[in-house]
Amino acid sequence: MRGVRARNESAWLLPLGDERTNHRLRDDMRRFDDDDEVDIAIVGCGAGGGVLAQRLARKGWKVVAFDAGPFWDPDRDWVSDERGSHHLYWTDPRVIGGDDPVPLGSNNSGRGVGGSTIHYAGYTPRFHPSDFHTATVDGVGQDWPIAYEELRPYYADIEGELPVAGQPWPWGDPHRYPHSPHPVNGEGLLFIRGCQRLGIDVRVGPVAITNGRFGNRPHCLYRGFCLQGCKVNAKASTLITHIPDALAHGAEVRADSMVSRVVVGSDRRATGVVYWRDGVEHFQRARTVAVAGYSIETPRLLLNSACEEFPDGLCNDEDLVGRYVMVQGAAQTAGRFAEEVRMYKAPPPQVSSEAFYETDPSKDYKRGFSIQCVGPLPITWAEHVAAEGHWGAVLREYMKDYIHWAVLGVLCEFLPLDDNRVTLSDETDRWGLPVARFDYSQCDNDRALMAAGQSKMEDVLGAAGAEETTTIKRYAHLVGGCRMGSTAAEGVVDGNQRAFAVDNLFVADGSVLPTQGSANPALTIMALSARLADHLASR
Amino acid sequence: MSNRGGQDEPAFPGFDVLDDASRWDAVTQGVVLSRVGPPPPIRFFTPEEERVARPLVDRLVDNDEPRLPLLEAIDQRLVDNEGPGYRNADMPEYREAWRQSCRFVDEDAVERFGVHFWELHEADQRAVLEAVRTAKDWHGLPASEVWTMWIGWACTALYSHPTAWNEIGFPGPAYPRGYAALGLDSKDSWEARERNARDRVPWAERLEAARRRHAPGGEDP
Ligand SMILES: Cc1cc2nc3c(=O)[nH]c(=O)nc-3n(C[C@H](O)[C@H](O)[C@H](O)COP(=O)(O)OP(=O)(O)OC[C@H]3O[C@@H](n4cnc5c(N)ncnc54)[C@H](O)[C@@H]3O)c2cc1C
Ligand code: SF4
Repeated sequence: MRGVRARNESAWLLPLGDERTNHRLRDDMRRFDDDDEVDIAIVGCGAGGGVLAQRLARKGWKVVAFDAGPFWDPDRDWVSDERGSHHLYWTDPRVIGGDDPVPLGSNNSGRGVGGSTIHYAGYTPRFHPSDFHTATVDGVGQDWPIAYEELRPYYADIEGELPVAGQPWPWGDPHRYPHSPHPVNGEGLLFIRGCQRLGIDVRVGPVAITNGRFGNRPHCLYRGFCLQGCKVNAKASTLITHIPDALAHGAEVRADSMVSRVVVGSDRRATGVVYWRDGVEHFQRARTVAVAGYSIETPRLLLNSACEEFPDGLCNDEDLVGRYVMVQGAAQTAGRFAEEVRMYKAPPPQVSSEAFYETDPSKDYKRGFSIQCVGPLPITWAEHVAAEGHWGAVLREYMKDYIHWAVLGVLCEFLPLDDNRVTLSDETDRWGLPVARFDYSQCDNDRALMAAGQSKMEDVLGAAGAEETTTIKRYAHLVGGCRMGSTAAEGVVDGNQRAFAVDNLFVADGSVLPTQGSANPALTIMALSARLADHLASR
Repeated sequence: MSNRGGQDEPAFPGFDVLDDASRWDAVTQGVVLSRVGPPPPIRFFTPEEERVARPLVDRLVDNDEPRLPLLEAIDQRLVDNEGPGYRNADMPEYREAWRQSCRFVDEDAVERFGVHFWELHEADQRAVLEAVRTAKDWHGLPASEVWTMWIGWACTALYSHPTAWNEIGFPGPAYPRGYAALGLDSKDSWEARERNARDRVPWAERLEAARRRHAPGGEDP
C-alpha cells in the first residue's frame, strides 16, 4: 500500500489504540481569515467535497471546506443504535411532491463533515462504460461529455484509498480490488445460493470496509451498524479517508457553517461565499468556488444565490439548475427461511450482482438493475413489514420472526426527466432561506424496470429456499440536478464540472451526474472530484 | 424480563439484551439505557389529544403487556422537534399532522360508533384505524401519508426499546464486542437462543394465530 500512502496519508494520520479521532491534527488545523482570498471555498464536505479538499490541499492550494454540520468525533458523537443516529441526517425542512414523492430524511443526505458517507452503506461499485453514452447506445438518458476511460485511473486510485474489498469484478470494465472479500453472513449466503441455483453471476463486494488493518484503521468488527456511522473507523467515509490528509496539508475544514449564498460580481465571476456561523453572517473571499452540497442542497444554494446578473438563480440562464434529479428504484424483497439468518450481523453491504445491469434487447425496457444485500436492523425491518400493510399483532408476529428473514434490494436505473426537479418552496429555514422542494414522478421505463427487478429478487430468494417473500417499493441515491453537458443548453456544468455561466465556479458532487447507472454513486462522485482537482491544478 | 406474556411463550426465553449493557461503550449505554429509565412526562399532546393518541399508538403496534412507554417516546420527539426532514406537499407539518390526526380519529369513532375513540373496545378501535389505512382521502389528508407517519413513529419507538429487542432476538449495540459467527444457523454464545430453533412450530401457524387476534372483531387479548 506504499503507493496509497504517498498520495493520501489519511489512514496513517488516525490514532492507533482506543481513540478514533486525531484531536491534535484538528487542534492544529490552519485557519484562514474571511478577508484572506483563499484559492478555493468548497461548500460541503461529503463524498465530493472531501476528496476535492484533500487533492487540492496536496497541490498546495489554500482550501477552506465548509460544512453545515459538525466535525464528527465517532467516539463521542455516534452510537451503536438505530434510533440514536437521527442527528446524522439532514433534517432541516424540505418539501416533496410529484406523482411519486421521494421521502428524504434518513434515506437521503447527511449533515456534517463526511456528508452522506458517514451513514451510507459503503457499497462502492464503478459505473459501467455504457453509462457514459446511454443516449447513443440505448436512445435514453444523456451522453456524458466524458468517457469511462477518463475516470478509470481515478476509480483505481480511490479504490486504493478507501480501500475497497471484494472479489475480482467481472462486469463493466473488469477489475480487481485491493482488499480480499469479507466473510459473508446468512443473508449473503442465501443470496449466493439462490443465484447459483438459477445460474446468475454474483460476487462478494465491492465494499469500502477494511478487511485487515489499513494504516491505523482496524479490521471491521462485523457489528452491523454501518448505516449509523462506523465507530470503529473500519468503513470508509471521507471524514477518515480524505479529511485527515487535507488537514495535514493545510486545508481548513470550517464545520457548523451554513453557506447561504455564492456571491458573483457584475463580471460574472464568483468572489466568495456568504455563510452563517454561531448566528453571525460572514463573507469568505475566494478565487474559486466549488459547490458540493448534495443533489438537493447544491441546486438550492444556486437558486438561493440569485443576484442582479442571475435573477432566476445562479447559473440558471437555461432553466437547468435543479432539473434531471434522479433516484434509483430500490424495491426491497424479503424472504422467510427456516434457517436462522440473523441479518443484523456483518456490514449490510456484502454481496452484489450486476448481471442485469445492461440493456437486454429481448426486453421492452431500456437499461437495467443490480441486486445487493440490504440487511436491515429492527426499525428499518419494521418499516418494511409495515409498508406491506401489516400492523398490530400481525406486525409483532412478523417482527418476532426477525432472525429468519433475509432482505435483498434492487437498484434500478431510473431515467433522467426534466420535470424531476428541485425548486424553492415558500417555506424558509432557521436562517430565513427558502427550503428546497423536490418533485418526482416515474416514467413507464422506470416502472417496467422496477417490476423486472422485483421479480428477479423473488426468483432468487425462492430458489434459495424462501417459503414466503414480500416486496416493498423504495428509492435510493439521489443524483443529478446540476448535470454535466457538452453545451450550456445541455448542462449546468461542462465535462470538467465548470459552470458554463461562471468561469470560476465548479460543482463537485453527485449533482453533476447526467445518468446514474444502477451502481451506488459515491465512488463515482469521489473519482470525479479527484479528476476535477487535476484539472483545476492544470488550469 | 418478560416478553409478551399472556398470548404465547417468548420466542427467546431468558434472553435479555441488558445483560450485556456493561460491555457497551459509554455513549451508547447512555442513549439506550435512557429508554428503560422513567419515561418523560407528556408535554406535547394536550390531554384531549393524549387520550386519543395513547390507544391509537398502542393499537398500531399492539402495545399491550408489558405496555412500553411508546407515546412518551413519540411525545418527546415532538417536543424536541426531531422531524423526519421532509414534508409531503399535501400534508401539514408533522407536529400539526399529529394533532389533526388525533382529532380526526376521534371524529371517526363518534360518527361510526357514537362514542369517543378511547371509550371503544380494542377491536372497534382497530376497525376505526383499519378504515384509515385503506382510505385514500381522509379528512382532506392523503390517508397513506398519515398511516405511514403513525406506523413509522410507533415502530421507531417500539423497536428502539430493549424489551422489544428481547422479543425479536436482536442483541442490540454489539459494540465494541462485534460478531464472529456469521453463517446460517450459527450464533455467538451471547446471542439469543430461539425456543423453537429450526422451526418446530411452523411460521405459517404462528402468523395465522396473530391474524385471528388482529382481525376486526377478533378476540381482545
Ligand atoms: C441510507 C443510505 C445508504 C447509502 N448507501 C450508499 C452506498 O452503499 N454506496 C454509495 O455509493 N452511496 C450510498 N449512499 C449515497 C451516498 O452516500 C451519496 O450519494 C453521496 O455521499 C453523495 O455525495 P455528495 O458529495 O453529493 O454529497 P454528501 O456526501 O451528502 O455531502 C454534502 C455535504 O454538504 C453539506 N452541505 C450541504 N449544503 C450546505 C451548505 N449550504 N453549507 C454548508 N454545507 C452544506 C452537507 O452538510 C453534507 O455534509 C447512501 C445513502 C443513504 C442515505
Ligand atoms: S460492521 Fe464493520 S464497517 Fe460496519 S459499522 Fe461495524 S465495524 Fe464498521
